[in-house]
Amino acid sequence: MANTMSVLGPRRKASAGRLALALVTGLILLFLVAPIAVVFPLSLSSGELLVLPTPGYSLRWYTDFFTSSRWLDATWNSFVVGIATMVLATLLGTLAAFGIFLGRFRGKALLLAVLSLPMVTPVIVTAIAMYFALSMVGLGSSLTGLVLSHTVLAVPFVLLTVLASLQNFDQNLLRAAASLGANPVVSFRRVVLPLIAPGVATGALFAFATSFDELIVALFIASPGQFTLPRQMYAGLREFLSPTIAAAAVLLILFSVLLLAVNEFIRQRAAARGAAPGEPTP
Amino acid sequence: MLGMSRRNLLAAALIAPLLLLVTLSFLLPLGATLYRAVDDSEFSTALPRTASLLRAWDGQGLPPEEAFASLVAELRQAQQDQAAGGVLARLNFEETGLRSLLLQASRASARLSAPVKDSLIALNPRWGEPELWRLFKRATGPWTSLYLLRSLDMRPTDQGVARAAGGDAVFLPLFWRTFEISLVTTLICALLAYPVAFTLSVLPQGWANAGMMLVLIPFWTSILVRTTAWFIILQREGPINALLMAMDIVDQPMAMIFTRFAVYLAMVHVLLPFAILPLYGVMKGIKPDYMRAAASLGAPGWRRFLRIYLPLTMPGVAAGSLMVFMLSVGFYITPALVGGSGDQMVSYFIAFFTNTSVNWGMAAALATLLMVMTGLLVVAARLLVPGFRSGGVKV
Amino acid sequence: MSEPLIVFDKVTKSYDGATQVVKSLDFAVERGEFVTLLGPSGSGKTTTLMMLAGFEDPSGGTITFDGRPLNNVPAHRRGIGVVFQNYALFPHMSVAANLSFPLEMQGVGRAEREERVRGALDMVKLDHLGDRRPAQLSGGQQQRVALARALVFRPKLVLMDEPLGALDKQLREHMQIEIKHIHEKLGVTVVYVTHDQGEALTMSDRVAVFHHGRIQQLAPPAEIYEKPANAFVASFIGENNRLDGVVAARDGASCLLRLADGGEVRAQIGEDLPVGAQAVLALRPEKVLIGSEAQGENRFEAEIEELIYFGDHTRLRLSFGGSDDFSARLTFKDGLGPLKKGDRIPVAWSAANCLALKPEES
Repeated sequence: MANTMSVLGPRRKASAGRLALALVTGLILLFLVAPIAVVFPLSLSSGELLVLPTPGYSLRWYTDFFTSSRWLDATWNSFVVGIATMVLATLLGTLAAFGIFLGRFRGKALLLAVLSLPMVTPVIVTAIAMYFALSMVGLGSSLTGLVLSHTVLAVPFVLLTVLASLQNFDQNLLRAAASLGANPVVSFRRVVLPLIAPGVATGALFAFATSFDELIVALFIASPGQFTLPRQMYAGLREFLSPTIAAAAVLLILFSVLLLAVNEFIRQRAAARGAAPGEPTP
Repeated sequence: MLGMSRRNLLAAALIAPLLLLVTLSFLLPLGATLYRAVDDSEFSTALPRTASLLRAWDGQGLPPEEAFASLVAELRQAQQDQAAGGVLARLNFEETGLRSLLLQASRASARLSAPVKDSLIALNPRWGEPELWRLFKRATGPWTSLYLLRSLDMRPTDQGVARAAGGDAVFLPLFWRTFEISLVTTLICALLAYPVAFTLSVLPQGWANAGMMLVLIPFWTSILVRTTAWFIILQREGPINALLMAMDIVDQPMAMIFTRFAVYLAMVHVLLPFAILPLYGVMKGIKPDYMRAAASLGAPGWRRFLRIYLPLTMPGVAAGSLMVFMLSVGFYITPALVGGSGDQMVSYFIAFFTNTSVNWGMAAALATLLMVMTGLLVVAARLLVPGFRSGGVKV
Repeated sequence: MSEPLIVFDKVTKSYDGATQVVKSLDFAVERGEFVTLLGPSGSGKTTTLMMLAGFEDPSGGTITFDGRPLNNVPAHRRGIGVVFQNYALFPHMSVAANLSFPLEMQGVGRAEREERVRGALDMVKLDHLGDRRPAQLSGGQQQRVALARALVFRPKLVLMDEPLGALDKQLREHMQIEIKHIHEKLGVTVVYVTHDQGEALTMSDRVAVFHHGRIQQLAPPAEIYEKPANAFVASFIGENNRLDGVVAARDGASCLLRLADGGEVRAQIGEDLPVGAQAVLALRPEKVLIGSEAQGENRFEAEIEELIYFGDHTRLRLSFGGSDDFSARLTFKDGLGPLKKGDRIPVAWSAANCLALKPEES
């Protein structure tokens, strides 16, 4: 565990400097969460305007959300696209990561750079490229096109998280499995997959979140029937700023917190299991 | 377990599906899009015979009568086939007014008597200008530097390249603005991230985890939702103005939304976690022994910080800053929602040229330059920061 | 005599197509034999083991196992048990599940699996730890589990790749004996890789000394130690004094070697050396007799440079024969005696105890 004394001097000097630092940190953390927190009371307003203090509290905007076919369709679309993206990206990303891990060939770094190019390319560039290409093959406004695009955007995250968990994977376990009679498929299923499961799960979660939050590609590809939640929200912001948007934002925040919690749960369980395979403890 | 060749075969089979997907759904579309930045096929597609006549023409004086006749005939035909839109837009983009010039000629085509050259010049003296024909000749493709030059506020001419006329400097300031906004955002993020990451890295684990949650929650909340929050908060009638007025700090609402200030506020808020997380990771990894060693060697606190701690944490600062800068440069949604018309960045114009003005050549040229800008940045970071690894892996 | 279990026939291995890690291996391992591959790192011993296990493909030649060529037989169809240096126990499975794994792969029924897993755990004296995870075991226990796992599916051959490398000295020596006992009890063939010569000498029926991708000598331990085939083996196994000289005369199995300082030594001919050839004299420090015991064909006087006390023995560093690093190893029955630095003392050894070998090519 890092120790404060090491950097700033002994603890007895827990003085003005330390206090100022704590204060600054607190203020910055407040800046990070406050805007998110402010949306909660606004979404519960009984009034038509997004003002604080609210005239009163009600769930009318949530009712509005859950009775509006536009918002419900968008929610449905988001889940369909998100889950499809997650499945596709996790499957392809995990297999490719294992392939990269297994392979003994030159140009691995280049291959990895190419496969993670969508991550560093400005999203708008990806979006228009997809838009041009998908309109050419007739998937211009379709959920399929959206899933393909989102998969391309999400796959680097799966690839990198799975590769990171493979870093801790002892190659000798594969050899051991083979020497004990397991063919490559069985080794992968019985030995590799259980050990990199936390990485795969995190990657999957990321893939889902990437798609679920994605707006720019959706702006170009989704037509009104295929609006996703972010797309619907953007349309709402552009047209008429109703507190329903605040309600939608709150729902999305809660969902993000849920995803974060699941991810933390996975991480902590992996850490508790001592997920450093192959390292004998004294 | 497998021998070497078998192993690589299996590896290839595992990688192939993803590589195929990325190639088909990303690399090819990206390549095709970037190609549009230099593609110049409208003229020769719509007016093929004229194009070949102009290519054969030496560019001296005026082209032969045949070219005049062909241009008018093919233009007329293309219009009847509804195939003239592309070439008209292309030529009018290079020089405003060419669309009406061409349409005038097309409309008059039935009435033009031979020789067409003289009739056209009689119709509009511009047809007698060699520069016009040389512009047409340049437009016969197959490639053009027009869009890329325009994106840099320049234009191709007979003599080479010229600066765009006076008030037309649009895109260089746009790139400069994009760079400026990104740089300022990055600096603010780095400055704010450092104390937060440090404090979290030295807190007892329980407190550090709680603090980390306050970083991770915004991190996992989508950019749009966070921008939306700012969009709501900064409204004229929004909570901040209401609060300021209630406290009598201001007597009328401040204009906060649609300003550069709003853009910085929202962008820093969105990107700050990207700067904190890598820095926290690096700081967590620094063994107290280094600082103890420095202390035992007689370095006072501030010198320990400057000489030991700061250099050791620089890779974290660099990784976070690069991530923030790279994301900033491509920002679209946040400035579009909370910024004014003078706060829009390159991405906004790429979207604009794609959707609104449907000038895909310009969209592609701006996209290419944006990619180049990002690419140069990554290369520069790799060169300047030793041992640097790019990677936006979320924690 | 039945056919050998393993035959290497002109096996070569190169990773980059240019440098050969293993150069034309030809050797055979008999059924039930315990053969150790010994050599410094990079000598090709581990690569040889990997090719046998099927983790690497030979670049040329054939490996025959139990009468059939192994080329193109993937590792999981070879039925060869392997004990890894870091044990490679599956960390997400219990000890019992680790042992059960190969039996499942063979399609052994549940009841028999449990029976055999119990038997294997009994054998390595871990019958009470079947439910533990590998991480909950000590290094020595993990080592036993790895051993049991490699044996539980009754392979004809078990490969061990430095299996004791991660253990401390005491435990290592204990496990050496235990492995040896299991080998004797089960009669399984073992090919064992180590860089620890003590381990190789105590455990093996035969030792193959590897260097530069070749087997330098393949022989029983005593022969390796007493009759090293060349200067590399002589220097790699145990300690050896090396004195450079020229062959002055030959006489049947022995020769006369003229040293740098003009002294002449009678030695056995270890390798074919013509008169006039450069040679190196290999002589173990414990074969050197001093003082009143200094009797033998070769008798000289040397000066004591240094006395180093080791408890069970004392080493003398002597200057002699053009070298100031000539060692003698003394075991005193009655204390250290009157020797001290600077003394000139008689030293002697029998011609039967020293070998004339070709100098090593560097």
